[in-house]
Parts: sequence; C-alpha cells; structure tokens
Amino acid sequence: MIRLGGGQPRPRWSLRLLSVALAALLLIGVLMFQLARLQVTDGARLAALARANSIRHVVLEADRGIIYDRHGAPLVENSPVWNLVAIPAGLPLNGTDRATELAELSRLAGVPEQKMASQLLSAPDLYASTTLKANLTLAEELAVNERLPEMPGVSIAQRSVRSYVDPLVFGHVLGYVGPIAPPELKALQAQGYQPDEMVGRVGIEAGLESFLRGTDGWADEEVDARGQVERVLAMQAPLPGDAVYLTLDASLQRATAASLAAGLVRDGKTAGASVVMDPRTGEVLAMVSLPGYDTNLFTHGISRADYSRLLNDPDKPLLNRAIAGQYAPGSTFKMVTATAGLQEGKITAQTLLSCPPYVNVNGWIYHNWASYSLGYMNVAKALATSCDTFFYQVAAMVGDVTLAKYARAYGFGAAKDIELPGVMAGLVPDRIWKQLQCGVPDLNSDACRWTEGDTITFGIGQSYLLTTPLNQAVYVAAVANGGRVLRPTLVNAVRDVAGRTVSKEQPVVTGTVPASPDNIQAVREGMREEINRPYNMNYWFRAAGVPADGGGKTGTAQWGGSGLDLPTHAWFVFFAPYAQPEVALSVFVERGELSEVEAAPIGVDVMKFYRANIAAIRA
Amino acid sequence: MILRFDRLQPALAAMLCVLGVMTVFSAGADWVRQVLWVALGAAAYVAATLYDYRRLRGLAPSLYVVMLVALLAVHLVGHTALGARRWLSVAGFPLEPSELSKLLLVIVLAAYLSRDERITWRAFVGALGLVAAPAALVLMQPDLGTTMVLLAVSLGMLFLAGARPAQLGAVVTAGVVAVPLLPHILHGYQRRRLEIFLDPTQDPLGAGYNLLQARIAVGSGGLFGRGWLHGLQGQLGFVPERATDFVFATFAEEFGLLGSLVLLTVFGVLLLRLLRPAGVASDRFGELLAAGVFGVVLVQVVQNVGMNIGLLPIAGIPLPLISYGGSATITTLAALGLAQSVIVRRRTVVFQEGPVRLRPASHHLPPGASRRLPMDGEDSRTIRRRAQA
Repeated sequence: MIRLGGGQPRPRWSLRLLSVALAALLLIGVLMFQLARLQVTDGARLAALARANSIRHVVLEADRGIIYDRHGAPLVENSPVWNLVAIPAGLPLNGTDRATELAELSRLAGVPEQKMASQLLSAPDLYASTTLKANLTLAEELAVNERLPEMPGVSIAQRSVRSYVDPLVFGHVLGYVGPIAPPELKALQAQGYQPDEMVGRVGIEAGLESFLRGTDGWADEEVDARGQVERVLAMQAPLPGDAVYLTLDASLQRATAASLAAGLVRDGKTAGASVVMDPRTGEVLAMVSLPGYDTNLFTHGISRADYSRLLNDPDKPLLNRAIAGQYAPGSTFKMVTATAGLQEGKITAQTLLSCPPYVNVNGWIYHNWASYSLGYMNVAKALATSCDTFFYQVAAMVGDVTLAKYARAYGFGAAKDIELPGVMAGLVPDRIWKQLQCGVPDLNSDACRWTEGDTITFGIGQSYLLTTPLNQAVYVAAVANGGRVLRPTLVNAVRDVAGRTVSKEQPVVTGTVPASPDNIQAVREGMREEINRPYNMNYWFRAAGVPADGGGKTGTAQWGGSGLDLPTHAWFVFFAPYAQPEVALSVFVERGELSEVEAAPIGVDVMKFYRANIAAIRA
Repeated sequence: MILRFDRLQPALAAMLCVLGVMTVFSAGADWVRQVLWVALGAAAYVAATLYDYRRLRGLAPSLYVVMLVALLAVHLVGHTALGARRWLSVAGFPLEPSELSKLLLVIVLAAYLSRDERITWRAFVGALGLVAAPAALVLMQPDLGTTMVLLAVSLGMLFLAGARPAQLGAVVTAGVVAVPLLPHILHGYQRRRLEIFLDPTQDPLGAGYNLLQARIAVGSGGLFGRGWLHGLQGQLGFVPERATDFVFATFAEEFGLLGSLVLLTVFGVLLLRLLRPAGVASDRFGELLAAGVFGVVLVQVVQNVGMNIGLLPIAGIPLPLISYGGSATITTLAALGLAQSVIVRRRTVVFQEGPVRLRPASHHLPPGASRRLPMDGEDSRTIRRRAQA
C-alpha cells in the first residue's frame, strides 16, 4: 500500500479545468470592478437620485380668506371639489396593466383614454401628481374612490374652490380668482406662488390678494414607489388667509341691484350702475354694475365658449361700470359750476340771471333743454330747473381754468383709491389737454384750440368731461357733507384667523373744496329744491312714500361727438337727509334718455329700502 | 466518510442561505416560506450527499423523460405569471420545472458524455440534440434567461468533457449566424429588454425602469451600505422584483460595496470549491456532474449580478440561494449535495475503477501506460511516475 498525502489526492487540474477556474475568477472580478465603480465613483450621484425618488416635497395649500359683508354675512365660501390625479411613476410599469387601468379610469371618470395617456406623457415631473380630471361629480368621485385600492398611482385630491354667493349681485365688487397667467408666473413664483394656484384676478379678490391668500405650508414626505406616503419627515402647517369684512350691506346691495335691474327693464335699457356711500366716512354701502356675470364660472375653469360670449357681449358684462365706466356727468356737474361762480364772486346766492332758450357764442348757438325762456332766476332755482343757459353764463364768467380747479377739488379726474383694481380716473379737460389731443398742435383749428364753446359746455358737464359712478358718489357726498372729499372704501376691517384685527379702515379726507360753508349751503339748497319740484321730481318721492328730505340732481349727458340729436346717458345723484346727510348715492343708466324718469326713480327706490331697513343696515 | 466530507462547501452554502433569508426579509417577501425552502433544500442536500451519485447514471434516461414531461406540462396546464407560463401546481406548491431542468439536464448530459472518453462528432451532435429539446421547451414558455443558462452550462460541460476545438468552434459559429435571426425568435418584451439594456434612458418609466432603479439602488448603497432593513429604494418598492430577480440590488443597497464584495467572494470560493470534485471525482460521470453544478451556479451568479449592475441585459434568473423562490433554492442545494456526494465518493487510496480523465490521457502518457488499470492504492500520478521510472 502506498499512501499519498494521507490518502487525500489533490485534484488533477487539467488545462481546461484551470482555464474554466480562471474564467470564473475573471468574471467575478469584472463584477466586483463594476460594483466598485457604481457604488464608489457613482455612489453620490446615484444616492441623490435615490433621495429624489423617495422624498417628496408637497405644498399644503392655505385656505383663502372669506369675504363678509359689514354684518358678517359670508359672500364667498371655499367649497371642496375632487380632482382625479395620478403620479405617472406610480402607474403599473407593465404596458397591458397600465392600459387596463387607464381604460377602467376612463370608464369611471368619463375622460377619454387618449387624453389621459397624452397628459401622462407630457407630465413635466414623473413623481409629481398630474390632474387627469378636475371637478369630479359626486357619482364619479364615489365610483373612482371605490376602485382606488386596485389602481396604483391614481388618487383623488380634494381642493377647495371659491364659490360666490349671488355672483350677479356681488360679482363686480368681489371679483374672482383664476389661474396665474404665464407672463406673471415668474414674478409670482418668487413670492411663493405655486404654478397651479388660483390668484385674485379682479375685484376685492385681487385688491386684497395679499390678505386673502394666507401662507402655504409644506411637508416633506417619504413615499414609496406607488406614491403612497410612508411617513411625514417634516411639516409646516398652512396659515389660512385673513377674513375681509366689507362695508357693503348685503341686503342694501341686493335691493340696489334689484331696483337698478327693475328700472332698466322698465325703460328697455340694458346697462347701468349705482353706488351708495356714507358721506360721513366714505364707506361704500352698495356698489352695483349691470349686467353682472357669473363669477363662479371662472373659479371652476371657464369654458372657451362662455368666455368669448362674455367678451363679445355688446353690454360688456365684464366691465365694472361703477369704477371703470367713464361718462360725461351732464347736468349733475352743475353744482361744481355753481360753487365756482359763488366762491369766485361772479355771482351771489341772490344774483338773478336770465334763462333764455339759447345763447350765441361767436356765432355758435348753444341751446337750453327748454325751447322757451324760463325767466330770471337765482342759482338755487337754476339748479332746481337745471337751466343750461344760466350755467353757460356762469361758466363764461368763471373761465375754464378756474372751473377745472373746482372740478378737481370735488374729486373729478382723479382715480379713487378704493380697494379694487382697474379704477378709472375720468377726465377734467383743460387747454393743454386739448392741444395734446392733436398730434401737431395747430392753434387755428378748433379741434386743438380751447374755444369759448368748450368753456360753457364744460359748465354743464359736457365738453370733454368724464366721470365714473363712483366719482359721482364721492362728489355728491362732498356736497352733502359741506365740502370734504372722502376716500371711498369697501373694506371695514381685515381680521386674521385668530380674530385679531389686522387692519381697520378709518375715514380719510383726501381734499376739501375751497368754498365757504354758505356757498356750499346755497348749492345744497338748489339740490333740495330740485327734488321738491311739484309735478316733477317730487312725484317719485310721493309715489314711493319717501320724504323728499335731502338733495338731488339729475343729468342727461350727451355723448358721442357734437350736434343736436346725440345719444344720452341718464344720471341721478342724491343725498339724504338734508340736515345730517348719512347717505349719498349715484345712479347711472347707460343710454338713458330722460334722467328724471329713468334714473331718479331708481335712486328713490334704493332710498325707500334704506329708510325701511335703516335699523338693520346701521346696526 | 465523514473525513472525506468537504466541510467548507456546506458552510459557504449556509452563509449564502442566511444572507438570502435576511435580504428576502428586508425586501418584504414571505421570509418564513424562504426558511421553509432552505430547510427542505438542506434535507435535499443531505439526501443527495448520502445518495450514491453513480446510481443516477442509470436513471438518466428516465430523468430526461421526466424533465421533458414536466416542461411540456407547463405548456399544457401551467400557471401564467408576468406573461409567461412557468409554474406548475404540485400538491398545492408552486413548482418551476425550468429551475429543476437546470439540474436534470446537467445529470443527463453528464451521463451521456461519460459514456465515452472521446467526444466523436456523432456524440457531439447527439449531445446537442439532447440539449435542444428542453431548451426549446423553456424558450417557448417564454423564458429566454433560463434557455441561455441551459445552453451556457451545456457548452461549458462539453468543453470540460474534452470536446474538440473544431466542435466548439462549429457551435460558436452557428450561434454567430443565429444572432441576426434573434429579433424574429425573441418575443416583443425580450427584444425590448435587449434594446433597453443598450440604452436604459430611452424609456425611464417603462422597460428601462427596472434597470435604472436597480442601478440607483446599488449605487446609493455606497461603500458601507444603508444598513440592513434601511435600504430606501428596496424598502419603498422602487426596485422591482426586489426579492427575486433584483434581490442583489436590495442586498447591495443595504450592505454596500463591502457587503457585496464579501458576497461575491463567498460565491467565488464556493465556485472554486465546486471545481474540486470535478478534479477528484472517481469517475468521469462524477467529474462532469460536478462541472455541470459549477456551471449552473457560475452562469446564474454572473448573469444575475451582471444585470443588477447594468452589465448584462435583464433576464429572469435568480441569484442562487439568495433570491426568494422554492424551486430554485431546493434545486441549488440538491445540486450542491450531489457535488458533495461526488467528493465523498472521490478517488482515494483504494480504487475500484480506472481513473477517467477529462481529456484522453493517452497523448500525455508514454505508450502503454494509459491502458493499464491502476493497481490497489494507485492513482494516475503513481501510474505516470511508474511509467516514467
């Protein structure tokens, strides 16, 4: 017996066995080399990709602040809507499973498969949610919700949408929120806005955006491959927006809208506006512009057809006439001319001037509204009868420069600093303005040169003068309160979520009319006489059962060029009570032909409601 | 018998099984079942070790029939998973015949090739025919990965059995010629996998997702890993098939480069350890059997790890003893047991049969020496030495 190595024969390594062993070692060596490259050289980069995979930063939207009327009645609410969203990376990877899921979704939510597929393909971030369908109906929401466990990557997101109360009545004041337009996106994102956030576009929603918006919160969530949240790593709760309390009285606003709408219908008109304010504080109690429009259409994503219908409507429902409609004031301007004449010493309260059917200025004839002479009269009577020729004479005596000074003192030609975007200033014309209207000033042309005719028609609120219903309310309030021009305001107070007052509006006097109390009193007297004229204005007050305690002035303003048979707008401005005015209002009827018949009854109607509900409104 | 037992090989296998169960647990798969598979596999290992592998030689024809019937049965009554029929239900347990076929083909091929020392062209073509039938059945499941494993292992066995360079060259040439035909043979998803492998970014969420996510997981493990049960990608489900095909990505993320190198080293030592029986077997059948087991483990480790780190295209190949799965775990352990059986019954001091070499020894031996049967206590070295003397 020969023993070799204790009976343990060593393997016979043939060349082939050896080469196989070497090949095996080489292959494992290659694997090790590539592993080292992946885990060491590319490790940091791939680890960052891993984090991006699994840590999701989500924004927790802050609830937008609620807007209330002066008594705390909500005018908008945040109502929940359900959106169908998907995280593209969370959907099944397998093509057939994915197609099955999309087909099922399409059936449940009523969205074409093709549309969903292309939306998923064009999603900028595969790990962020993409909205497949907004505003699911309750039935769709229930149907999808039931099947959610079987559909990875899909979820239902609840968002809140602004839902406005009575948008046709409050819409022009409250405005609406809408998606951010691409050009503004950059600037707004710097302020922390999300690309899909809704932002106030017009009205109070836009004007008080910074208060209403609130502060978004955020959370860092760890999510799995299906997008399900595993745990929240860190979060900051959102801070809801502030509550805004308006100066509007909801009931008076509704009554004003109803009166204006009824007046328009009665006279076959389609557009108008009215502003009611407190001549002591500048608080706007009601602001209506007709026609209104459904602001709720915008918050839910307005359809192209609806939007173009609103844009192309000849009555321009999107225009808030109360602040942005600019029209000649007509005879309602005569209080300015009267104030200027009295204060400049050209007339006194007792001065009698004739009221002929027309005056002749440099060969041009300027008519009164009456084709007969009304005789001699003082300024109060001239206001009450609205004698144009009387005020032609006063305007000629005062001169255009001084008249413009008084117009500006009453607040004409200045955009009112109210909490709404898009406020228009109106226009107080003067010589320089008129020359600038011509490309190359030519002093020999009447189109460029200020004429005597311009001055005297300026005196009756025509020529190139423009005002807005809001300006008119501020102006009549100034007459009512003895010459203080107030800053109109729509906001009573802003309170944060804890109920603390963030901002409280105080009355602001932006200017004082440079006129003695006696002179303004003389103008007020003329306004009182006008509404007390028997068989004329007084009829409406008696018919409505409203005491004619106050002052008013009507105006039928021509527009659209010069000539005899021009279209007109109807105005009525009013304040009450006479001794201690607490209401000032303006009524505007677009294309109104007779202000005493068309505009005045609307104002009287509003006053009737105000007097009947004074306790509730002033509570 | 105990003395001859290779103690290192089962120790390495046990290490792998422990790491496997840990990773499967971390990947959120049914680890209790995996423990059960390992226990059953251990029993199969012991049974295979105790079993005299030489008796398998006679059973080879029946085993071949069993394999073909099982693979055919998959086509007829199999269960479908991920678009392929791969599963059979046996007494309520899922059985994957293609996994079993890896070992069965090794046994059958070893038996066939050990009939003769020389590989004649006729024997070579016969062997190819033997491989072709099961390979075709597996390819039709469709399971391209397992088919490739079968072909690679068969080629390796032919090489070690001493096939002539011309024969191997002919097979390689045939393969090169067949490559242009591949797009016609491959199923849509298989072709897609190949394209994605070439450019994974072209569809990061579709077919390229697996490849990309696996690479991200492996890479984010870094040097030391995120720690057991702390792998972000694996735990959160970004790694697909994270307990089976992509189990290595899960492992590499949690144990890092260090852990992965340890794992590959364990595999490397195990593989070298499997080559030992191929060298010391008492008969040619034993040598080829052990070589086949070596091949099955090597090809699967390389392919699985390779696809996990983006070196090879995706194919549904498990990582032996690490991936979750009953058929694969039990088959692998049984195969290792057979290798152990070869070692236990290796040539020692007492020889009953002549030594069978992987290549005909006659070329290297002096004339007459090879024809001699060894005497008691002799091995080939003694014979050679005596011949030289």
